[in-house]
Amino acid sequence: MADTQPVISIKNLTMRYRISTANVSGLKDYLIRKIKNQINYRELLALDDVSFDIQKGEVVGIIGTNGSGKSTLLKLISGAISPSSGEIEVDRRKIQLLTLGTGFDMELSGRENVYLNGSIIGYSKDFLDGHYDEIVEFAELQDFMEEKVKNYSSGMVSRLGFAIATAGDAAEILLLDEVLSVGDEFFRKKSLKRIKEMIHGGSTVVMVSHGMGTILDNCDRAVWIEKGKLRMDGDVKTVCAEYRKLGGQ
Amino acid sequence: MGELKQYWFVIRELTGREIKRKYARSYLGILWSVLSPLLYMLVMTLVFSTMFKRNIQNFPLYYLTGYLFFNMYGQVSQSVMTVLVDNRNLLLRVKVPKNVFVLSRCYTAFINFLYSMMAYLPLLLLSGVKPKLTMILFPIDMILCLMFGLGVGYVLSILYVFFADIKYLYTVFLTMLLYLSAIFYPIEQVPNAMQMVIYNNPVYDYMLFARDCMVYGTWPTADLWMRIIIWGVASYLLGYLIFLRRENEVMQHI
Repeated sequence: MADTQPVISIKNLTMRYRISTANVSGLKDYLIRKIKNQINYRELLALDDVSFDIQKGEVVGIIGTNGSGKSTLLKLISGAISPSSGEIEVDRRKIQLLTLGTGFDMELSGRENVYLNGSIIGYSKDFLDGHYDEIVEFAELQDFMEEKVKNYSSGMVSRLGFAIATAGDAAEILLLDEVLSVGDEFFRKKSLKRIKEMIHGGSTVVMVSHGMGTILDNCDRAVWIEKGKLRMDGDVKTVCAEYRKLGGQ
Repeated sequence: MGELKQYWFVIRELTGREIKRKYARSYLGILWSVLSPLLYMLVMTLVFSTMFKRNIQNFPLYYLTGYLFFNMYGQVSQSVMTVLVDNRNLLLRVKVPKNVFVLSRCYTAFINFLYSMMAYLPLLLLSGVKPKLTMILFPIDMILCLMFGLGVGYVLSILYVFFADIKYLYTVFLTMLLYLSAIFYPIEQVPNAMQMVIYNNPVYDYMLFARDCMVYGTWPTADLWMRIIIWGVASYLLGYLIFLRRENEVMQHI
């Protein structure tokens, strides 16, 4: 495994946020505090010198307590933000990031959202035309596509989001941010099955989840990030067991 | 090539959404882009034409031409201002440059402007303006005015991420700009000092240029040419540069 080229290569990744300690609520407040010299910044190290590689076909779970930098890591891998230092080598065109905030426009119909959302995440018009029925069928929303999304239930919204992001064989690298824990049980099973199919097809999956069960069931490797630092990286069972020990303390 | 096609596809989808949303609950839909300038013109003519009858030749068109340009500038800059915040969920996932969101708002304003042309051009002919060669300059004015608004919009969009207050300040600013554009009164009516201010208002330049080449059929002066080109190009380049430099900061904050 070591001599093949990794699909995602993360080297000394550091992400520093500059957070204003004064909670400024608006322009007036900002100016007043600026004049009084009350604007101070505190540095937040969301990620601190993290390095690891992910090989093709691996299913990696990222665990850690709240605010430990997991979602920041996914955003960095997807290229939504750039790191303060360090680098990530990955082919961004192959990535599909799936998060809970699907970015649907509530005022538009399901159909219109499929095209809008699909275009944003990089599908061409031809691809969407060809896969439209498949997306609708997977989301089980055949009778609702002309309906406005604001009339959907939250489960329906996440089903549609999932169906769009995993349409076709488009995604070679799938980044999942807490998405496998939504929807009803039937859809959860269905989406897990889809993920497994994609893994069989050679997709690489990186998932963030609070549910240890989801990670244990689906991943073969886990990366534990704690307060921005890489705490442990290895076999999913070993890492999760260690993580649980910390929780038990 | 494929990337450009995708870029265009995203812009069209986003623009379609803007237009659908804007007119979602109205019966006439985008026809309002044709009707509303006409109605404004009617009102303004009723109110002001008796006041400035002797000073302004062809008041309805004088007003409408100015109004269309002011409106386009206002729409571009104002809608671009909020574009990053409005699309925060999509920004994280977009595959093409984030500039598409900005360009789609600009394109929306442009489409609206073109619809307004459906009212403007017939009206121009109906009120006795003969088609003249100077009219070929109109698209140039239109594009430069869009570029100027776009540049201002870029800067505002960054500011708006950090200070939501800008939105309210800018609305007031636009009202002020409207009165400083000599849109419904002849510029000679105001004191000299005020005239100086108006002459230095870029939006006024775009209106003046359009009135010259469309309504009065005269070739704009070299000075005016220079001003509309410099304002448009400089504003666009500067705005875009600032937008690119601050992009990462915005993404962290949003």
